[in-house]
Formats: sequence, C-alpha cells, structure tokens
Amino acid sequence: MDTPGTMIGNVNLKGDYYAAAFCAPEIASKARAGQFVHVRIDDTRNDWILRRPFSICDTDPEKGTVTIVYKVVGKGTAALSGLRPGSICDIMGPLGSCFTPPPDATPVAVCGGYGAAATFMLTRGKKGVLLLGARSEADVILTDKYEKAGFDVRIATNDGSAGTRGFVTELVPRLLEERPQEKFFFCACGPHPMLMALARLLREIGQSGQLSIDHRMCCGVGSCFACVVKVNDPGSADGWRYARSCAEGPVFNLEDVYTGD
Amino acid sequence: MADLSVDFGKFQLKNPVMTASGTFGYGFEYSRYYDISRLGAVVVKGIRMTPSHGNPTPRVAEVTGGMLNAIGLQGPGVEKFLHGKDYMPFLRKSGATVIVNIWGTTVAEYAEVASRLDAEREGITALEINISCPNVKAGGAAFGTDPVLAAQVVSAVRKATTLPLITKLSPNVTKISDFARVAEENGSDAVSLINTLSAMCIDIETRRPVLANKTGGLSGPAVKPVALRMVYETAQAVRIPIIGMGGIMTGNDAVEFLLAGASAVAVGTANFVDPFAPLKVIDGIDAYLDRHGFKSVRDIVGALA
Repeated sequence: MDTPGTMIGNVNLKGDYYAAAFCAPEIASKARAGQFVHVRIDDTRNDWILRRPFSICDTDPEKGTVTIVYKVVGKGTAALSGLRPGSICDIMGPLGSCFTPPPDATPVAVCGGYGAAATFMLTRGKKGVLLLGARSEADVILTDKYEKAGFDVRIATNDGSAGTRGFVTELVPRLLEERPQEKFFFCACGPHPMLMALARLLREIGQSGQLSIDHRMCCGVGSCFACVVKVNDPGSADGWRYARSCAEGPVFNLEDVYTGD
Repeated sequence: MADLSVDFGKFQLKNPVMTASGTFGYGFEYSRYYDISRLGAVVVKGIRMTPSHGNPTPRVAEVTGGMLNAIGLQGPGVEKFLHGKDYMPFLRKSGATVIVNIWGTTVAEYAEVASRLDAEREGITALEINISCPNVKAGGAAFGTDPVLAAQVVSAVRKATTLPLITKLSPNVTKISDFARVAEENGSDAVSLINTLSAMCIDIETRRPVLANKTGGLSGPAVKPVALRMVYETAQAVRIPIIGMGGIMTGNDAVEFLLAGASAVAVGTANFVDPFAPLKVIDGIDAYLDRHGFKSVRDIVGALA
C-alpha cells in the first residue's frame, strides 16, 4: 500500500471543480459525513504555509482511500489542482463534528454548489433527497453520484440553466408538499447567506436538521479561534457566543445556529 | 543527549521550548496529538476577568511567508479558566508546566486577574503579562507601546502576586529594549518577545481589507529576522532572562534565538502548520547541541562567536 498522504487521483469534474483521492487508511476507516481533512499542500513552498480544510466527500475503507471535491479559488487550490498522482500531502483528519440524521427520518441534503461534497456520505444511509442550489449549470456537480446512490435529486439555479430558476430554499416547501407524511431531517452545507436563510425557514416550518457552517480556518484543531461562527448561548449577555467551527463544528444543530445579525 | 533544562531563577523548565500564547489554545486541543507535559511550558491563550467575544470574522489572512491574525483575545474569563473542565483542571491533571497569559482593559484589571490566579495558583508556574496584543482597542498594545503605562501595569501585577512574571513585549515600538528595561525595573522576572507585528492586507477585487478588524498581527517565518534582531538588542540591555519567539518553525530557527541571547523560545504559528512542531523543535535543538558537542542548552545562550 502507498504511504499515507499519497495522491492516487486528481481529476477535473468540470470547470474549476476537481476530485482528488488520497491514500489515508486511518481517515477512511473513521470518517463520517460532514467531517473534514486539513491538508498541507506542497510544503516546499513558502508563499503559503497554512493548511486547507476540505470536506470529506467519500471514502473507501477497504482500499484505505479518501476523496475530496474542491473548487480552485486561490493559490493553494490552484497548486492542488496541479499535483499528479504519486505526490504526497500531509493530511490531518478526520476532524470536526458530523451529520447525525435519526434512523427513522429521510435525510435531505440541502447544498449550495460544492457544499454537496460535505453531505455525500449520507447516501450510505436511508435513501434520501438532495436539494442543490447553484449559480448556474456550470456549478452543478456530484448530482450523478447522488442519483446513482438512489437519492431524489432536485436542482435550483439562479439563472435557470439547470433545474428550476430560483433559490435552493424554495425547493424545501415543495418537497414537504409532495411528501407530506414523511419525517425529514435536513443536512445543509453551502454559502453563509444560504445557510442562514435555510435555518430561518426550517425553524419557521418546524423542521429539524443540522448545518455545516465554517469560516476561514487556520489551525483546524480548536486552538487559534480563527474560524468562529455565532451560536446561540442563553448564558451570554448577548445571547450568542463564537464557537470554533473546526472543533465544535462544522456541523451544528439547527437549534444552536444563531440567525441574528 | 544534552541537558536541555533551563533555569529562570524563580522557576525551572525541563527544556527551553514553550508554546506562544494564542497559538496553543489552553493545551487541551493538542493533548489528543501528544503528551503536552513534554513541552518546556504551555503558555495558554490570554485570560482577563470576564469572558470576551473577540473580533468579528474574517480573523486570519495568509500572506507570503506567514499570516495575519486579528482574533482579538476571545476568551472564557478567569473564573471559567480556573474551574471549567477543559481549562485549568485539565492542565493540572496533564502534568504540563503552565504559564498563564493575562490581560485587561485597565491597569486595575491586570492586577485583579493576577490576584485571582494567585489565589488558586496550584499548577501555575508563572504569569505572562500581555501588554502587546495589537488587536484589541482597549488593553494589550495600548499598554505596551507607552513606557509609563507599561511600568504601571507591570508594577501593579507585581504587587498583586508572588508568582514569577514574564512581560510579553510589543515589537511595534521604536526601541523594544527600552520596554524590556521598564519591565525589569518594575519587577518582571523575564521578558518574552516578540508579539506580532502590526500589519495589513487588502483584497484588490473587493477593495476591502481582508481582515474584519482591518489590521492584524503578522507572524510566521516572515518575522523571524526582525524578532531575532530584537532579542539580540534586548539581550544587551537587560539582565533578566529572555524568551525569544517569532517565526520559529524548526530546531535550527530556535538555536538562532538562543545564540542571540534568549534563554528559552516559544513556537507559535508553526503549531498551525504542524501540531507536532514544538516537539520537533525540541529534538532539533538537542541534535544541534550533540552535533556541536555542547553538554547543555545553557551553553549556547548568547554564545555568538
């Protein structure tokens, strides 16, 4: 078997989106949906020094491999997209909290863009639903994998180039209308404004779920307090506190998510 | 294997490698990776009287050779620190040598925190007075860039506790050794330097500063030469021991600080890159000493040829 951290694949999905697979037997055996790995990309460079967090999209515990799906957004991810199989990255993980849909509920992944990577391992449980929002068809990824896994996939795009035109949150009431008797559990990952809108909506209509929320991360283990997000805290004078998304999250229970300013 | 122990007079450390405050949480976070009692000392994130939220996000930005942070001293407050299970009670059980970094928004608050920690001092080896955080409006560097206020803070804390005191200095001054002298004259048992360098970066697409706080503190390999010069300059100016820090990533980096006159060092940003960095720095110092036939780490402190 390869040395842990050895890249075994790095393929372009479409546009700026890639899927990279690494040999990481220990992470593969432990990882749960919603958790992440913290990757040091090319430690010979000094124009960046920090690790990059990536949601774990998929694992193969037997082969000992872990797959991440990423979009090229900066120097680190650009360098990652240029690495070839055989390259070695220092990978920490699995880190953070995970999605825990109750066994009697249908999991509904509500994702924005490549947020769909964070919820993919939910497809190992009960057959569920993917509600995917994206700017346009160019940002719709992983839907084929969800469909293959038996998920009911529904898409909303801002420009209407795939699925229905509009926001992903608009797909939620439609789903509830179509399947009124069903108990759902919503598992979400996407841009912050989408998550806040979804949290308000789910509360309003009395649905339960969890949201993966994070912020620009640094240490990945809870020591630096860079990646904090606001969570409800009745004990605090302001009613909220900053929680570390790497250590206390990234998956937070809906009732803990602070949706104020 | 050379003798790595260091002697600060009022306290001793098993080796010269500490963690820099704010880069190691409260020790708990790294205890899942290794036994933190192997470190010279764990210096915890800054503690004041009350809990504080810290600054809005984004709080960090990456720059060439380092990073900026403007965390803003988020913290649990002294009571939760003393009694919350993942804080001091955990640290006492861990067997780690603990140095508590303290701050306040007034001179009186610094003294109050020191006195509160003094009252429950079991397991606390020393206090580090933070007069150098560049990211809080009141407190921190406001005290560390004015020699009169710096003297007041150190002197007030000195009266509040008999615990050994380390004063952490700001590099954002004209002459850092002047501030080291102020700390020494007012009863500090050691000085630690440097805190981060006040800095900024801008996203040219949005035309906004990257950090919500607009400015932050620069750390990482980029600051090492500056930190080293400041340690060297301070070593000529004071008799109290110096804890050197600023961009230490390897044992060889640490040796440079020891040669410049630091009696011990702290590892900061490197913790974010590699959780095991402080242990590798200890091993690296040891290997250097063996390679050059030094029996003790004390033999290379200030030992420029």
